[in-house]
Amino acid sequence: MSLLEMRGIVKEFPGLRAVDQVDLSVKEKEIHALLGENGAGKTTLMNILYGLYQQEEGEIFWQDAPVQIAEPSEAIALGIGMVHQHFMLVRKMTALENIILGLRTEGFPMIRREALAAKVEALSRKYGLSVDLNRRIDRLSVGEQQRVEILKALFRNAHLLILDEPTSVLTPQEIQEFFRILRMLRDEGHSIILIAHNLSEILEISDRVTVLRDGKRVCTLETAGTNERELSQYMIGRELVKGVHVRKPADMGRTVLEIRDVSLWGPDRIAQLSHIDLTVYSGEILGIAGVDGNGQLELAEILVGLRTQSGGSILLNGTVLDHLSSRKRWEIGLTYIPADRHQDGLIMDADVCSNYLLRRYYCAPFAKAHILQFARMRGNAEALTRDYQVKTPSVATQARLLSGGNQQKMILARELQSEGSLTIACQPTRGLDIGAAEYLRQRLLERRDCGKSVLLISTDLEEILALSDRIAVMQGGKIMGVVENAPSLSVETLGLMMGGMTLEEVGA
Amino acid sequence: MWSEILNLTFFTSFLSAAVRMAVPLAYAALGETVSQKAGTLNIGLEANMLGGAFLGFAVTYWTGSLFLGFLGGMAAGSCFSIIHAVFSIYLRQNQNVTGTALNLFSMGLTSYFFQVIVNQTSGTYPQIETLPILPIPILCKIPVIGEAFFQRDIVTYLLYVSMFALLWFFNKTSWGLSLIAVGENPQAADTVGLPVFRMKYLAALFNGIMSGTGGAYLILGQLGMFSENVTSGRGYIALSLVVFGRRDPVGICLAALFMGAANALQFKMQALGVEMPVQVFTGLPYILTVMALIFSAVKRNDSDPAALGKPYIRNMR
Amino acid sequence: MNMKQKGVFALIRVAAVLLLTVGLILLSGADPLQAFQTFFFGIFGTLHGFAEVFVRATPLIFLGLGVAITFRSGFFNLGAEGQLYMGALASTAAAMALPESLGAMRIVLAFGAAFLAGGLWVLFPAWMKSRLGISETVNTIMFNYIAIMIVGVCIRGPLQESGSSLPQSAQLPEGLTLPQLLYPTRLHAGTLLALAAVAVLWFLLYKTTWGFEMQMVGLSRRAALCTGLPVSRSLILSAVIGGGMAGLAGFNEVFGVQHRLLEGVSGGNGYTAVLVALLAFNHPIRVMLASFGLAALQVGAAAMQRSLGVPSSIVSIIIGFIVLMILCGSLPEILSEMRGGFSKQKGGVRHVE
Repeated sequence: MSLLEMRGIVKEFPGLRAVDQVDLSVKEKEIHALLGENGAGKTTLMNILYGLYQQEEGEIFWQDAPVQIAEPSEAIALGIGMVHQHFMLVRKMTALENIILGLRTEGFPMIRREALAAKVEALSRKYGLSVDLNRRIDRLSVGEQQRVEILKALFRNAHLLILDEPTSVLTPQEIQEFFRILRMLRDEGHSIILIAHNLSEILEISDRVTVLRDGKRVCTLETAGTNERELSQYMIGRELVKGVHVRKPADMGRTVLEIRDVSLWGPDRIAQLSHIDLTVYSGEILGIAGVDGNGQLELAEILVGLRTQSGGSILLNGTVLDHLSSRKRWEIGLTYIPADRHQDGLIMDADVCSNYLLRRYYCAPFAKAHILQFARMRGNAEALTRDYQVKTPSVATQARLLSGGNQQKMILARELQSEGSLTIACQPTRGLDIGAAEYLRQRLLERRDCGKSVLLISTDLEEILALSDRIAVMQGGKIMGVVENAPSLSVETLGLMMGGMTLEEVGA
Repeated sequence: MWSEILNLTFFTSFLSAAVRMAVPLAYAALGETVSQKAGTLNIGLEANMLGGAFLGFAVTYWTGSLFLGFLGGMAAGSCFSIIHAVFSIYLRQNQNVTGTALNLFSMGLTSYFFQVIVNQTSGTYPQIETLPILPIPILCKIPVIGEAFFQRDIVTYLLYVSMFALLWFFNKTSWGLSLIAVGENPQAADTVGLPVFRMKYLAALFNGIMSGTGGAYLILGQLGMFSENVTSGRGYIALSLVVFGRRDPVGICLAALFMGAANALQFKMQALGVEMPVQVFTGLPYILTVMALIFSAVKRNDSDPAALGKPYIRNMR
Repeated sequence: MNMKQKGVFALIRVAAVLLLTVGLILLSGADPLQAFQTFFFGIFGTLHGFAEVFVRATPLIFLGLGVAITFRSGFFNLGAEGQLYMGALASTAAAMALPESLGAMRIVLAFGAAFLAGGLWVLFPAWMKSRLGISETVNTIMFNYIAIMIVGVCIRGPLQESGSSLPQSAQLPEGLTLPQLLYPTRLHAGTLLALAAVAVLWFLLYKTTWGFEMQMVGLSRRAALCTGLPVSRSLILSAVIGGGMAGLAGFNEVFGVQHRLLEGVSGGNGYTAVLVALLAFNHPIRVMLASFGLAALQVGAAAMQRSLGVPSSIVSIIIGFIVLMILCGSLPEILSEMRGGFSKQKGGVRHVE
């Protein structure tokens, strides 16, 4: 019998059907994978199930009885637990406090810490979810925080566990351990919905898989009867091809960027970056691959001047950057496409025209003796809008009102209009539709072809392989190795390095 | 002169005056703490207190009942506090702007209606009896502190009770834990099924009741009559006590006592004709509050609730 | 929400304000029609009343400008009150201390001192915010009280009028006050300075690179940082200019109206200025309009109190209520959202296309 049935679920956001007539059924004691690209509607569907969103159409059946889930508390009462991709933990509270938060435990309203700790301890031993219960969340590693989240759900007697991209923050070794826990949970009678887009992981762990694409359900398959090729076809709607871009052979010239022994210590002297050495040459794209949260963002922010490294030095075209402001760095040729375009890249409430000029408003011809030249500013904005094919009603429109692809094009237009010799691009195509992503990649390649350099930081391996001349892999704040992106390069090599093996170890 | 200051009787009456001035402040500051722990920074504390002072006074004046007067004070404080909550939680407006507007609104309303009452009583300023003193047996005989702390009225004793009750609430109960979670990470609280919005409103209501009581006490427990803007900035002072007392119930009461002592010292020294600008004493607590802010920032002691002052919007995540 | 519904909603709010006003007037036992007549006569009926509007608007303009420009760069300045006091103190001290040989130059120097003192007074909380991340809300209020304390000490100590026991400074020396413009009314040259300040700030904010920086930093500090804008400099510049403006309000009150430094020289206008800035959406020219409107309300209400006994505190009620009505403006959007209109997009973004 099925534990959960979702039938004909529809969820609309303005101008977008995020979930469109989706059916999903989960059996007892099943690990059910939900597969799809970014924006396919997986998380939205699960938020509906967890009571965070209300569907416009469709019904939910729990153990064959129709249910309305208007609040997370109702989902919890049914026995549904969810671990979000961004953990829902109170950072200043201990693990134990987070686990018991909001529960009517024995002795309510008093909290009997010892008794509760013993109970949680028993649960964590049973599934091998070891956590120091009396530590504050902000003192725990990401893996431990994930275990706290799972304990939190289990302690609420979750029968069905929804896990949103749980492996994206784990190393391969941790993933194996994590899968062991999932299997144990299944054997104990739990069901699990696993949101993922890593094909091999899905094949390894799940019993069945439902594929979503553009908010619609494509199919539901028995995992045993399918393979990576078939799944990727369903997911992408086309076959995954390595290296769709025609790249001229790199014309690597002089050294542009030199990172010398850069380290960064976080709170408690934990190394977020340790001894990074990296060189970027003119006319190349150097890709930095790695699982999210392994120091890439920190490295980018140090290069741009948003953070100061704890040790080491950075040189751009021979100039030491260490004590220069980020404006100075831009002036001597460093441009930046940040990963978070809403927070970092654009001023969402300002108009398109101002956003184009954030880098250059104070330079001639846009300002004379500190007085803004509006005609020129507008002219510049209109020219860039044309050149970069930004679709906007006018240059006086708020950046907020543009689509993600057009917002990214605006950033590109702003950053690439300069003669800068190095572009640092972080996740440049994340969340963009295929057309916009393609456009962006072409622009980056053009940049390379005219002798400039790009440091491409991406968690999307396909993108790294398609664009890079050389690939560096980061893991745990270290560079695991740098390899040429030659046809002989195997994805396995990169995978092992992303999992924490150095290039030498992989080679041996 | 100094011998007079160091004399024991002087000290006793000084301490007594300090406690007296501390009580309304402590009430308001305790209320505000609960509100801030739930993520709402209410600058309109002055509005709550002034409203509480006026309605407390008016109700007692009409009915002759101090009890009903306090209920009236609580009602007025709650009213302003809930308005603030609706604007900042439901309408997602800037909490500081709302609070500032409410302060002006409350000042206008209370002055206006007070004037209307005065006009009706043909210009005489109405007065009421204040709360009777109820010494606690035995405790009030303790030398020095007995008279100051235990020879007081029922509302002062209730403050002691509130302080310990809140201490218990924050440290021992799951309600307290939930409330703190709402102020730190409303999204996380939401996903474990806590009624985030209801808790924020309840915290605001509690703040209104406490600060309304504080305001009412100023009239019903001490002054016996209302006058325009009678709270004269006590709401802002209470705001500083929340920071100075580090959002800890005991810390806040001690801070309030310190503030009361600074004021009392100023008055006593003025009474003694001390030849120095005694305003220094009233300013001291503010300087200390600023120093407390700097101290906790330098120590990276993140005592501010992480979501303080930010509206929680459920669908936008 | 279409235009028509928006219009209706706005009308409802205006009607609410009018209804409240009429209700309050009735409550005080006056005839509303007569009251309105008195109100307008109070403003436009006499030269004195009309001039008084300008006199009262002047400090509000300075303070409103000061608050508005700091709000623009995202610094929530509740400290205009304290900055005013420091400006008043510094300018009085300058006028008293500077040698007589400087003549009228002293007034210019006092003007500068007021601006600097106000600016410096906001610099502490601004620095604490940009360097230590301390929230300015409570902090600026603390600085108000500290400023009031300092003034209190000075007018009982070094600046106290000799031979007087009142807490106030001596009268300013002859010829050091701002010139009267329309004797016998209180209208003085400070109003002209305020209007000039409006023009200067408008130009600064909308026509210069510094103003551009302030606006961008105010809209998104993080994005401004990431694109290399001088965030700290901009924050501090706007704070200092804002504090300076509030300081000038203090100068204006001492040199234009009171002619000496005394307690309560602000009349609580420092907090009202927050609401002026809000009513004006932080736009300098609208600050001026809002200040005149508010001052007119005060003058008219004073007339109502004099001849009809309607308490003048009605102004505070109405201003507070108007601001609350404006804050209601987000209601339709929120209602339509609750009805399942728009919701999630990463970062809450609505799209066209």
